[in-house]
Amino acid sequence: MSKKFLLAVAVLATALVGVASAEINWRAYEGTTLNVMFNEHTYAQAIIAKLADFEKLTGIKVVYSTTPETNYFDKLNTALSSRTGDPDIFMTGAYQTWEYAPAGYMEDLDPYIKDSNKTSAAYKYDDFIPGIINALRWDLVPGHAVGIGKLWALPMGWEINTLTYNKKIFEAKGLKAPKTTKELYDVSVALKEHAGSGTYGLAVRGTRDWGTIHPAYMSLFATWGGKDFEIENGKLVCKLDSKEAIAMTDYWVKLIKAGGAPQWSTYGWELCGADLGAGKAAMMWDADRGGYTQNVKGASAEAGNLAFSGIPLPEGITVQRSNLWTWAMGMNAYSKNKDAAWYFLQYFTTPEFMLYSGTEGACTDTPRQSVMNSKAYKDIVGEAEGYLQTFAEVSANASIFFTPQPYFFETTTMWAEVLQDLVVTNKYASTEEAMKQLAERLTDLVSDLEVK
Amino acid sequence: MNKGSDRQGSLSVAGGAGCAHLRATKRLLSITQNGLLLIYAVFALFPLLWMVILSIKSDTQMYTTTFAFTPTLSNYTEVLLKTDYFKYLLDSLIVAGGAVVISVIAGVPAAYALARYDFKKKEDIAFQILSFKFAPEILVVLPLFMIYQTLHLYDTYFGLIWVYQLISMPLLIWVVRGYFEDISVEIEHAAQVDGYSWYQIFFKMLLPLIKPGLVSAALLAFIFAWNTFTFPLLLAGSKIQPITVAITKFLGTDTAHYGQLAVAATVSALPAIIFALCIQKHLVRGLSFGAVKG
Repeated sequence: MSKKFLLAVAVLATALVGVASAEINWRAYEGTTLNVMFNEHTYAQAIIAKLADFEKLTGIKVVYSTTPETNYFDKLNTALSSRTGDPDIFMTGAYQTWEYAPAGYMEDLDPYIKDSNKTSAAYKYDDFIPGIINALRWDLVPGHAVGIGKLWALPMGWEINTLTYNKKIFEAKGLKAPKTTKELYDVSVALKEHAGSGTYGLAVRGTRDWGTIHPAYMSLFATWGGKDFEIENGKLVCKLDSKEAIAMTDYWVKLIKAGGAPQWSTYGWELCGADLGAGKAAMMWDADRGGYTQNVKGASAEAGNLAFSGIPLPEGITVQRSNLWTWAMGMNAYSKNKDAAWYFLQYFTTPEFMLYSGTEGACTDTPRQSVMNSKAYKDIVGEAEGYLQTFAEVSANASIFFTPQPYFFETTTMWAEVLQDLVVTNKYASTEEAMKQLAERLTDLVSDLEVK
Repeated sequence: MNKGSDRQGSLSVAGGAGCAHLRATKRLLSITQNGLLLIYAVFALFPLLWMVILSIKSDTQMYTTTFAFTPTLSNYTEVLLKTDYFKYLLDSLIVAGGAVVISVIAGVPAAYALARYDFKKKEDIAFQILSFKFAPEILVVLPLFMIYQTLHLYDTYFGLIWVYQLISMPLLIWVVRGYFEDISVEIEHAAQVDGYSWYQIFFKMLLPLIKPGLVSAALLAFIFAWNTFTFPLLLAGSKIQPITVAITKFLGTDTAHYGQLAVAATVSALPAIIFALCIQKHLVRGLSFGAVKG
């Protein structure tokens, strides 16, 4: 009898577990107040638009701040380094996790996802595009690639770096979208002053910070076969003095001098996009959604005239390697409301919410496969000529091509400084000299990092 | 006609020519001065004019034209009617205004004490107060952030008004101290002989005398407090957002909305301009008075 009783209890328990994992108690943290820090972005706007629904479902109150990207990370760095637990949740990028996670500011999200009492069965973790979710995993070992280790954040959206061009200008000049780096150079030269003084061929970023390196430059750098660091004898060694790195950088400097913006060194994403939208620039190589938003009806003077194309390939190279950027949300390791914070993260990364953000919320590059395959998504995003095709073509091999290490921002800023010096000054006799000096300095900078 | 009158006549002709020459030189000088001032005025005002032009341009014409465009008020509608712009403006008025009021209430007696009384370490204290202005905000903000979190002052009006004292108080104390030092102490003694109490002397005699300096120092403190960015960026954000921080939101998330940014900047400059115009008559005297000490 006792055996039968135990069996019955076991069956009942299994059934109960099954029920529990099917749906969680969304009201479990009713009355909690969460502080959320957003970067001012379309991704954040989509969440803010649905905050009332979340508060109604959970009874959790959300207090949030939005700060533009220029100052966002200053604010976030201060808040996280205070270790007070405020904010509970924050927006971050993959590169930032390389700094925040080793410092102990970020909570590992895997235990929450695996806990069926905390995560709804409808969450479908496996629906995240592997390359995107894995960009937010890291084992905290400098030099080790992303994709292994703990999960530090959940993606809100991602971006690849592709060429957007003005088809009206191209048609008027009898040009075709460039497929090779040689064609890109020739077209950029041909489009110099295409509509008078101040107009030019190609808009790319040029400011003296990491933002200049990670989009177009890094995409071509990786496509060309360059690497930033390699592990040698338990240490990181900078490889910016390699044959590929020097050749690519030399090409890039010549390209900007011949066909870039006259004030290239002041250009961030916003000026690149603005020039493309105004017809000043005939092409832009930057985040795909940067070109997409300029093409939306009424958004710019050239809206409707923009089309998309992949990465121009160097001679002998057949694979496009776009560097990848993802905006994500992480949890503060010092948060006093971790379970409630997990509910927030979970709710705003569900397939249901991401279908909304990917379609009505204008978050074009969705990290959910189910959303990307949906008709609603394809109907809206597919309206832009060549967008979905380019996206499929380039995203196949897109990844983060930087070596994860905590000095990421220092090393990329120094890299951008040298790039600026090469374009606007005569400081170096050659690109080779500049890159060799840079490689030495960067190797020295990361010399205290132990690769175990 | 005699020789004398001839000489007089030639002298008067020569004198008339000399006067005419002098007048012409003065006129030329005046034209040159005014011309140079005009050039400087255009140079100084052009950024403001440019900002106003941007504010009435649409996004699509922002880069395609310079002066010939179709003016639109859509940026004003977007910023003033569809956002919490006036809430941000009010937040700025409360924290900057509150900071100046407290600086005046606490700073004027402090300035008087530093000007009039001799006490141990007086100059050290005065320099200590001034040194608050030297510390880069970004360096002191982390400990402040932690203290504010503990004391629940983070993201509150009180907290911001308090931290703004680092900006407004030293300026006010040092400027007003100079004005008190310029007033002869014998005047106070004379008033005491006439039977005035210390408070009567302070409020009825000294305050009216330092009014121009106090007003100009208060205006400068208000402008510095109004323009502060780092403290409100890092010590507030959810409930309270002064305009300097909120203004950057208008840059946009998908594309740069420079027209909206120009509207936000133009309107946010108005309170300081209105304040300055209201106190203009005190301001000119206040800025020059006490500049040279005997």
